[in-house]
Amino acid sequence: MNDYLQLEPADRAAIDVRDVTKTYDLGDVKVEALRGVTFTITRGEYVAIMGPSGSGKSTLMNLLGCLDRPTTGRYFLDGSDVSTLGDDQLAAIRLKKLGFVFQGFNLLPRTTALKNVALPLFYAGINSKKRNATAADQLREVGLGDRMDHKPSELSGGQQQRVAIARALVNDPAVVLADEPTGNLDSQTSEEIMALFGHLNDGGRTIIMVTHDEDVAGHARRIIRLRDGRIVSDQVTVRS
Amino acid sequence: MRLTQYFAEAFAVLAGNKIRTLLTALGLIIGVMAVIAIQVLGAGMSGAIQGILGALSDRTFIVLPNQQQADFTRAAIRLSDLQRAKNEVPNVVDAIPAAPQSLRGRYGHTSRRVTVGAGTDERFAATTPIHYGRKLDPDDIALARHVCVITEKAAVKLGITGDPTGSSLRVGEHRYRIIGVLGKSNEGILPGPVAADVAIPYTTYEREYARSRAIVFVRVLMDDPSKVADTEIAMQNWLKRIKGGRVEYQTFDRKSFSKAIDGIFGAVTFVVALIGAVSLLVAGIGILNIMLVSVAERTREIGLRKAIGATRFQVLLQFFIEALALSAFGCLVGMVLGIAIGAFVNGQFIVKLSGITAPIPWVRSIAIATGFATVVTLAFGTYPAWRAATLDPIEALRYE
Ligand SMILES: Nc1ncnc2c1ncn2[C@@H]1O[C@H](COP(=O)(O)OP(=O)(O)OP(=O)(O)O)[C@@H](O)[C@H]1O
Ligand SMILES: [Mg+2]
Repeated sequence: MNDYLQLEPADRAAIDVRDVTKTYDLGDVKVEALRGVTFTITRGEYVAIMGPSGSGKSTLMNLLGCLDRPTTGRYFLDGSDVSTLGDDQLAAIRLKKLGFVFQGFNLLPRTTALKNVALPLFYAGINSKKRNATAADQLREVGLGDRMDHKPSELSGGQQQRVAIARALVNDPAVVLADEPTGNLDSQTSEEIMALFGHLNDGGRTIIMVTHDEDVAGHARRIIRLRDGRIVSDQVTVRS
Repeated sequence: MRLTQYFAEAFAVLAGNKIRTLLTALGLIIGVMAVIAIQVLGAGMSGAIQGILGALSDRTFIVLPNQQQADFTRAAIRLSDLQRAKNEVPNVVDAIPAAPQSLRGRYGHTSRRVTVGAGTDERFAATTPIHYGRKLDPDDIALARHVCVITEKAAVKLGITGDPTGSSLRVGEHRYRIIGVLGKSNEGILPGPVAADVAIPYTTYEREYARSRAIVFVRVLMDDPSKVADTEIAMQNWLKRIKGGRVEYQTFDRKSFSKAIDGIFGAVTFVVALIGAVSLLVAGIGILNIMLVSVAERTREIGLRKAIGATRFQVLLQFFIEALALSAFGCLVGMVLGIAIGAFVNGQFIVKLSGITAPIPWVRSIAIATGFATVVTLAFGTYPAWRAATLDPIEALRYE
């Protein structure tokens, strides 16, 4: 193993992806969704991933989110190699180090905002008193201190996405991953959510977000563009 | 891993879907209820009958020709055979016709149909409590007196109130002086020979009723109850010999009666419990079905739970406990209903009619019903939970 040293993760990198490919084997055809991507994201960065439909954005996010394993290549998350872990080990990583925000919010219906936010803490084995206290703090932080006992059906889309963001943050993750977080929201509400993301990033959160919207991407400090499973550009944005 | 939390959530989910929960649990409720009630009633019923049989004398047995035999007419027993038997078969004190007659009884202005049977003195009779007067005694038998002992039920039927001893009862062509009224217990359930409405000395019975009719079955009175098995065989062999060989007889004593009844109730209880078990099985399939539907409906929820870090085991536990909670609800309701129905029917009918409170194996009945329901749930609840646990989070999250 003469390239052992090369396998060490980059210093201070929250995310270190090396020559990662992902091939979906559909029997007769093989779909190469990612054809070798390499990049690092340091702590505190705010990155937007863009690209045409089918370019592999969601595939990449699923890998970054430890929901899937790369076909080849290495992925170091927060200093440890997670590219070959088993399902339950990946679940533990997701629980401790990652927070997800989805396009469709994915809140549990018939369950209060507070209980939704507290859910990751339940799986972390934290007692209910502490769960509720932590979840309440988190809801206040996203500006929903007065909506804790509301169910998703009683909240607006923007409020639901705030609850989802609070849920993503409640376990104090190293990285927050958002796949088209504003895809279901109008532009006004999108701006609010982006402001919240900006605020979180100012507070030191690492955020990676997929979006189709250049305006939304403009809030990030760096944009990685994909095409056909490859990175075609990786730029720092100029903030207006 | 906080199990109470899982249960709390499971009950919340079930409560959030009341009609579905109730309909799914219904099969389980009915199954558990039926299995418990059937076992309780079976035990109550066979206990009652055993109790009644226990009151029967050990010193008698019944003999009758087999129903299925080539020469049934030749096997028929006549009164003259019986008179010979007591002299020729060892240990036999007497053999008497045991089938009661149905005749018109008149008491005062009341006229009702009553059954008249051949009564023995106390040594050979059931240990029935007596309300008024006395039972038949050896003198009544020896002298073939025109006296009778009636049951309380017959007394009510004939409109008799208070103590009727000394008054006269007309049955068919004859008049008998009432010497006693038997207590209410044991009435009605026993076979005719013991439970006739009106018992007259068997000697009187033979003279007045048996001569003109075929003897359907015979009651044999023995000296030594410990020799019952030998005496039964001797009696059968003796009858075969005097009838000419190619005839068949059967005998029943208290023990073989008791055994036969045990067998019948055991078989009936088993078959009905089996039907209950099948209904529980069907209920289990209902649970399987509804849990699969539930898993499908909540695919996105499962994806979400897995995405935020739930392990396969935690997801498995969630859905498994949901099935368990559903089953617990069904078991509990079924148990309450089963106990209530069992206790009510047993108390109101079986105990009241027989006067005998048999020990009921409550714990065993409940354990069998709920145990089987639990096994069914475990068997059918595991698969949907496993399906949920092994869902791929990415696909689950994309599911519409
Ligand atoms: N589970 C899968 N099985 C087979 N092929 C898949 C699977 N998931 C994605 N793909 C394929 O991989 C490629 C990349 O898909 P991906 O979802 O990553 O695209 P995307 O950039 O997120 O697109 P969009 O902007 O439409 O969401 C596509 O060609 C897609 O068809
Ligand atoms: Mg996508």
